[in-house]
Amino acid sequence: MKSLQKSIKHKFLKLLVTGLTLPMMTAGLQAAESELGVEEIISKANKVSYYAGDDGRSDARMMIVDKDGNRQLRQFVILRKDIQDEGDQNFLVVFSRPSDVRGTVFLVNKHVDRDDDRWLYLPGLDLEKRISAGDKRTSFVGSDFFYEDVSGRNPALDSHELLEVTDTAYIVKNVPQDKSNVEFAYYIANINKETFLPMTVEYFNDKGEVYRRMDVAEVEEVQGIPTVMKSKISNLETGSVTYMEFRRPVYNIGVPEDVFTSRSLRNPPREWLEAEQE
Amino acid sequence: MKQSLLKFSMTKPKWVFIITLLVTAITGAMIPNIVVDTDPENMLAEDQASRVYHNDVKDRFDLYDIIVVGAVNNSEKGIFNPRSLAAIKKLTDGIAEIEGVVAPDMMALSTVDNISQEGPGTIRFEWLMKQAPETQRQADWINQQVERLPLLQDTLASGDDKATAIYVPILDKDESYRISQEIQGLINQLDSDDEYHITGLPVAEDTFGYQMFVQMGISAPLAALVIFILMWVFFRNFKFIAAPMIIAMATVIITMGLLIGMGFTVHIMSSMIPIFLMPIAVVDSIHIMSEFADSYKPGRDRKEVIKEVIGHLFTPMLYTSITSAVGFFSLLLTPIPPVQIFGAYVGFGILLAFILTIIFIPAYLIALKPKSLESLQSEAKQEGTLQKVLKKVGKGSLAASKLVTVFFVAVVALSVWGITQIQINDNPVRWFKADHEIRVADRVLNDHFAGTYDAYLVLEADESKAKDNWMKSVQAIEDNTLKSEVMNIMQNENQLTTQLNQVMILLEDKLFDANDQRAQILEDLIMKADEARVKVAYFQQPEILREIEKLQQALAESGYVGKSNSLADVVKTVTRELKTGQPKDFVIPDSQNGVAQALLQYQSSHRPQDLWHMVTKEYSSTAIWLQLTSGDNQDMTKVVEFVDQYLADNPLPEGVKAQWAGKSYLNMVWQDEMVKGMLDSLMSAFVVVLVMMIVLFRSILFGLLAMLPLSITILFIYGLIGWVGKDYDMPIAVLSSLTLGLSIDFAIHFLERARDIFKQTGDFKQTMVKMFEEPASAISRNAIVIAIGFTPLLFAPLVPYITVGFFLATIMAASAVVTLVLLPVALKATRKWAFKS
Repeated sequence: MKSLQKSIKHKFLKLLVTGLTLPMMTAGLQAAESELGVEEIISKANKVSYYAGDDGRSDARMMIVDKDGNRQLRQFVILRKDIQDEGDQNFLVVFSRPSDVRGTVFLVNKHVDRDDDRWLYLPGLDLEKRISAGDKRTSFVGSDFFYEDVSGRNPALDSHELLEVTDTAYIVKNVPQDKSNVEFAYYIANINKETFLPMTVEYFNDKGEVYRRMDVAEVEEVQGIPTVMKSKISNLETGSVTYMEFRRPVYNIGVPEDVFTSRSLRNPPREWLEAEQE
Repeated sequence: MKQSLLKFSMTKPKWVFIITLLVTAITGAMIPNIVVDTDPENMLAEDQASRVYHNDVKDRFDLYDIIVVGAVNNSEKGIFNPRSLAAIKKLTDGIAEIEGVVAPDMMALSTVDNISQEGPGTIRFEWLMKQAPETQRQADWINQQVERLPLLQDTLASGDDKATAIYVPILDKDESYRISQEIQGLINQLDSDDEYHITGLPVAEDTFGYQMFVQMGISAPLAALVIFILMWVFFRNFKFIAAPMIIAMATVIITMGLLIGMGFTVHIMSSMIPIFLMPIAVVDSIHIMSEFADSYKPGRDRKEVIKEVIGHLFTPMLYTSITSAVGFFSLLLTPIPPVQIFGAYVGFGILLAFILTIIFIPAYLIALKPKSLESLQSEAKQEGTLQKVLKKVGKGSLAASKLVTVFFVAVVALSVWGITQIQINDNPVRWFKADHEIRVADRVLNDHFAGTYDAYLVLEADESKAKDNWMKSVQAIEDNTLKSEVMNIMQNENQLTTQLNQVMILLEDKLFDANDQRAQILEDLIMKADEARVKVAYFQQPEILREIEKLQQALAESGYVGKSNSLADVVKTVTRELKTGQPKDFVIPDSQNGVAQALLQYQSSHRPQDLWHMVTKEYSSTAIWLQLTSGDNQDMTKVVEFVDQYLADNPLPEGVKAQWAGKSYLNMVWQDEMVKGMLDSLMSAFVVVLVMMIVLFRSILFGLLAMLPLSITILFIYGLIGWVGKDYDMPIAVLSSLTLGLSIDFAIHFLERARDIFKQTGDFKQTMVKMFEEPASAISRNAIVIAIGFTPLLFAPLVPYITVGFFLATIMAASAVVTLVLLPVALKATRKWAFKS
């Protein structure tokens, strides 16, 4: 009896949802005809967000602010080199703050077609370790950013639907192909028409409520490349917000590929990590 | 005053009726606004230090009240089989959707992370049970993983592999009944043969509140019915009975209406007010009605008779009412707010009943038709078995006065021994009967797991030294603009570490475009700020974590706790998995940096927030979680005493202090306060009543004699509690003052009448014979009405009500017996002084 009720309720909800989204979808379809295809939009967004230049470095600072206003600090340098645009790439992340984790290093060989290779070095434990992560939606060093927010989510993992085109943005709904590996039901990205940078992303749960959102607060042009300088991710369930700030970003510095091997864990390549003095 | 009131009620009976009705209606209209409060936390005043600290700790570590759901599979295969786990997974997902559940903090097999070894040199972070397993092998694997994780072992899965639990944190404990009902609904839909149980203190408390409503709806009307039937048995006249019933109803409605109207919540104690007031309220009107029926002869002027009766009864009635009220008012001296409210309103109700009786009954008698008056008077005058028995009692006790004395000395001696055996203990879960599903759940789950009761031992490190050092560096800044900017941050309301982080960000932003010389200054300052921050992060130091480890070890060996969890366990587990996964690496790293880095890895999980339930973000305070298998205050007391002793033998480093929080601890605190408070209130009520008795009888001897029956009754009752082995809990504690207030009535009536009759007869023997005619039967009748009036409580579904019902009935019976048996003997022994002419 109860399950019958439930299924009726479920059907009703479904009707309601399709009824509501139908006008939006048709509006989206009409608009989409005169614009780019949704796959192209997503591909461009992926490229400008994670594959700017052939390589790059930047100082990064995270401020994690909990619901009571307590602040924690994470500061690191991030070094990147692409093997192929929208394909494999390498990251080296070296921490400088808090001072007790100084020298902690993450090395990531990101793969599009298989699991990433990840290494970790902890100087305080004098320990080098390979990490095999079950999924990429775990917290990045205790912040509200996920590992995947830092390294980029493979667009092929979601199906995309252009909901709306406004004067300034493409509104794209992304539904995961495999629901079992993610905590969201879908997310909606607001992608800037000019820069193709996603300016806000809202993550929805099964109830259709936003429980997490990303906002870009500041974009600057660096070497002609629109670059996110300030962004934040809010966890609406816990009331925690993490502000991420990039500083002194540079692109196309010519960092060699052998920097991204486990040798760099114990001996981070100073010459590539330090910002050039202006 | 007395005369004018009487005159008013006899000349304007209609006005009396209208006013009574109006007041009752107005106050009665407030009753629907009732708010029930079953939170034991409210046993402590809101500003009570332990309660304030408890709530501070809850805020500091983001702790919520927790409902525990357990699944048990007692078959050979245990709970770790695909079907059981599929049900658990489904249930967990369902619970996460319930409104009011703090889903991110839920603890269940499918919501927690696992850290494990994946081949040499590789660790793996992942959900422990993202999907329910499909094969038995996968199910076994999950079980093995849990056994490796000390934080989860015996918490999420039982050591015997038969049970698993879901811990459901909730936003508002007042919602736990609804949430537990919704969980039960989900359980009913599961495809599972496993036993499911729901427990946890919030559920017990909120369910109790729900049942309290039911209980009030049943017991109070039942008490009224019982009293009605009893009076019918004694008086067999509807018009006669109607008067005391009206007084009782009006008293209860006005008192409860006022309590609710004044904005007080109805607590377990105050929900018993109607049942207390009803029997007490009818007693005075029974006195007046009986005496009126005795004195009135057709043809006599009613008003004259009423004046005579009231004149006769006013003083003893006033005194018995005031003494009963004093007994209840003395509860105001306990530091427990719900007990204070209970005492205040019952005391008020008793005085109100007295005033209503004095005003309403005369008006009622005046308004009766002559015919009804005749019928009143024709009844009430038959000698029943009660009277016959009483006469024998009177004769017997006087004849065997030595034996009686010996008997009561023996009772007192045995009672004193019994009192020394009293176990002070309470546990909200025990408020339910042993076969209630909450009690069953409590038993089963605490049998399988390390305990469903929480207490927190909170350690705090003094950060003032680090702050002073840093502030010295700030004062030394030469650049005034910079100094004031830093000072601004240091004066904001944030925690020290947050301020230091803000300062570091400010300084680093300035570093961005600073020249060499200035950069050096800024870097120096940043370093000092960071030094201060590291100092504040005291609980990242290996030394203190090892101290915590030792304390936990001692706790485990003591056997008083099921289990304890701490930051040290987190650090050790992460370190082990980061290193080799072998037991030899289950250690605390040697440096603060090592600890910090292990913790950074712990945070790189699906649930980084878990860490902050054990330590603050500054790492300046940490909570050791204790799981207890029993919610008895006594067991918590043992833990507290053990830790006190341990910390006395192994002092914490200087500047570190330890303090308790948690529901189990709070329950212990209010229990202690109540025991002390009850002793105070009993002592002061005793003294006040003694003084009143001396004034009333204008004799120290009579004053002391009046106190004799109740003193023996109190000793006897508490002796009995000791003998029976019943825990001294909240309802029991309240009984002492009640006994005092109620049983003094019998002694007053007995002594007053004995003195009166002696004046007429001048002979002690004859006085006693007369005493065991009308006066003794009046006393017995009242005792029976009150005692039986409380018996509907025996049918209550909740234990505290049953306790109160049983002991009050016993108290009434015991004090009537003591009065009737012992007072004649005592009077005989002291008659030379008592009845000197």
